Amino acid sequence: MDFRFSPEEEKFKEEVRTFFEREAECVSAAKEEWDSGLGYGPNCWNILQKIGGKGWLCPTWPKKYGGLALSYMYRYIIMEQMQYYLNIYSTVGAGMAGPVILSHGSEEQKDQFLLPIARGEIEFALGYSEPQAGSDLAALMIRAEDRGDHFLINGSKLFNTRAHYAQYHWLGARTELTEPKYKGISLFIVDLKTPGITISPIWTVGKTRTNEVFYDNVKVPKEALVGQKNRGFYYILEALDYERISTVSGIERDFMEILEYVKKTGKGKDPVIRQKIANLAIEIESARLLALRVAWMLNNEKIPNYEAGMLKLLVSETEQNFVNTSMQIFGPYGQIRKGSKWAQLNGKYERNYRDSLESLVTRGTSEIMRNVIATRGLGLPRG
Amino acid sequence: MDFDYSEFQSILLSSTKNFLEKEAKGLFREIENTEEGYSPQLWEKIAELGWLGVLFPAEYGGIDGSFVDMVLLIEEMGKALFPGPFVPTMISGLAILKYGQASQKEEILPRMIEGKLILSPCLAEPDHALNESIIEEKVSTRNGDYILSGTRLFAPYAHVSDRLIYSADTVQGKAIFLVDTKSPGVSCNPLDSIGGDKACEVNFNAVEVPESSVLGETGKGEDIIAQMNEWGALAESAYIVGMLEQVLKMSLEHAKEREQFGKKIGSFQAIQHQCANMAMDIDQAKSLTHEAAWKLSENLPSTKEISMAKAWASDAARRVCLMGVKIHGGTGVSEEHDMQLYFRKAKASELAHGDGDRHREIVARQLGL
Ligand SMILES: Cc1cc2nc3c(=O)[nH]c(=O)nc-3n(C[C@H](O)[C@H](O)[C@H](O)COP(=O)(O)OP(=O)(O)OC[C@H]3O[C@@H](n4cnc5c(N)ncnc54)[C@H](O)[C@@H]3O)c2cc1C
Repeated sequence: MDFRFSPEEEKFKEEVRTFFEREAECVSAAKEEWDSGLGYGPNCWNILQKIGGKGWLCPTWPKKYGGLALSYMYRYIIMEQMQYYLNIYSTVGAGMAGPVILSHGSEEQKDQFLLPIARGEIEFALGYSEPQAGSDLAALMIRAEDRGDHFLINGSKLFNTRAHYAQYHWLGARTELTEPKYKGISLFIVDLKTPGITISPIWTVGKTRTNEVFYDNVKVPKEALVGQKNRGFYYILEALDYERISTVSGIERDFMEILEYVKKTGKGKDPVIRQKIANLAIEIESARLLALRVAWMLNNEKIPNYEAGMLKLLVSETEQNFVNTSMQIFGPYGQIRKGSKWAQLNGKYERNYRDSLESLVTRGTSEIMRNVIATRGLGLPRG
Repeated sequence: MDFDYSEFQSILLSSTKNFLEKEAKGLFREIENTEEGYSPQLWEKIAELGWLGVLFPAEYGGIDGSFVDMVLLIEEMGKALFPGPFVPTMISGLAILKYGQASQKEEILPRMIEGKLILSPCLAEPDHALNESIIEEKVSTRNGDYILSGTRLFAPYAHVSDRLIYSADTVQGKAIFLVDTKSPGVSCNPLDSIGGDKACEVNFNAVEVPESSVLGETGKGEDIIAQMNEWGALAESAYIVGMLEQVLKMSLEHAKEREQFGKKIGSFQAIQHQCANMAMDIDQAKSLTHEAAWKLSENLPSTKEISMAKAWASDAARRVCLMGVKIHGGTGVSEEHDMQLYFRKAKASELAHGDGDRHREIVARQLGL
């Protein structure tokens, strides 16, 4: 048992940290842009390209596709630092679409997409959810008809977050009406500029933009299909598997800010607040340990099956508890928004409290994660 | 980074499992209502297996293991509800190893490791607000020797111990004394308690203790007590982790077998999600405990981590056992089923060496509050 990074890993971590410190100006502009909820603007693209230029967006990929052929622990280390400095810890291309292209894509797709993904030049919007298909993703209805020399796509998507700035849609669509439903789904890479696609905004309570995406007789070339037809659902699950690493470095950073606040304001003398702060510290530490363990499992080619579900559950619920407790610590001042002289820490937590809801719902809700733990991890019978 | 067990640890784990499965089945029930509250035959056997020497140097007959080894061993004991004075003896022995003079170590440690001496910390004074102290607290000196009077509570297995670690306030501050239980004036009465682990009321009635029995520096007693409580808290966390793993295992077995409404109850999400929460809770307690043990093994600062582990484990003990009982339904409440044993023992472990609130307060202090 050893809870330390190896000396080489420590050295690498230092290198990554130094990079972010040196790029402080660029980093803080990108973070501010990202925290506005609008997604990537010029500042985010700028820093992502700098990170990509180092090979750090896809460090585990082969060198010819812009990676560094490093092990997973290095990816974890980069993600920790990215989250700490930027709140962005990966891109959809690097974390989900890319790995599927790498293992199932055609040679043309690899040549076209992998390098730009690794260099931070392009981004994908995840095109899974629909009005009738959320947790039950296999129920998705958007149709992709095989018209011989192209696919014709009709239907709509809901909550496809990056669609307003990503170049490509990572689209799950129905290519066949089958029973069970998941056997008739295929994956496509669609250029979001293709005629017939309309994107309209949906705003969350955290003032983050997500989108509805409408497909009206959209003609997509045959080469847009990823892997085999009707195998899309398997790839979707596989892609989720690639995105199992999480980190708590953003929560740790904000926790330190709250801790300082509590010290400075003298609230740290209140026994109730002492208990709350200590409890947060413990919860965050337990989440960090699980994140490390999952990264270590991936690093050692062990499959974190239900552990990854646990991690998703624990990190999102810990974040929720953290922002909620911060609000409690501020008392009535906590409700005051940015801009007022009475707002605490510039109203950051008033906003974070609203924004924290997203992670409870996306990437599988807490209940879905508990289903996964119970059935896959604990072997309980499916209902 | 390495979350695997070493080869030694894997061997330790499997031999411990085998031993406890063979020897400790039903032991808790058998032993609970006996006078001693532990099995002297098994105590000898665990000494032969080297358990009592895990944390001690070879020169005293120990096996020079680490706190991680110890935690893994205690987790197995927790699973089996192995009763007896293991934790009190171990933390007392560690105090002697760390603070004792050469003569004290030589006199006590080899025999303790051989299973011939049981030790018990007598550190808790009765709550003065309750004003029920049986013997008035008094410390005086005569010809350089101490004369000690007072009552201590919740001293585990003091009634079968050979040496007591007794704390008292002297004119130079708090001092710790190593006292032979057979000294005139010492009496120990086991108290009937929820976990059946023979917490004793210990009375000192003008007990003569030679100056040479002081452990460590007079006046530095608080440090020794704090240190013993840290070791104890870590050990109890490990015992809790083991107990809770067993509770989850029993609950899952029950949920996979028991049918209601024509279905296995384990297929109901209300049950599934509670099981998932139990698994999560236990996982958190376990990784915090392992990290704390690892830090202690590496001589890194570990006060905060130990308190993190005990705070979480203490509360998880209550939450997980409660769910375990509920999943078992009426069976979980019945005296005949083992579930209630874990439910009771978990409460004792929750309270031992500080409950969740106490340890969160320590964490808060460690964070600079
Ligand atoms: C801000 C935001 C951004 C998003 N971004 C994207 C994106 O980029 N791309 C994309 O494809 N999707 C995205 N989503 C969609 C997200 O993945 C879905 O909202 C999520 O999967 C839940 O689906 P749903 O909203 O339909 O809720 P439902 O599935 O209807 O769930 C409602 C409730 O029922 C519970 N429930 C459902 N099924 C079960 C079950 N089997 N057992 C127990 N409980 C169950 C859920 O836990 C939940 O509590 C985003 C959502 C939000 C809010």
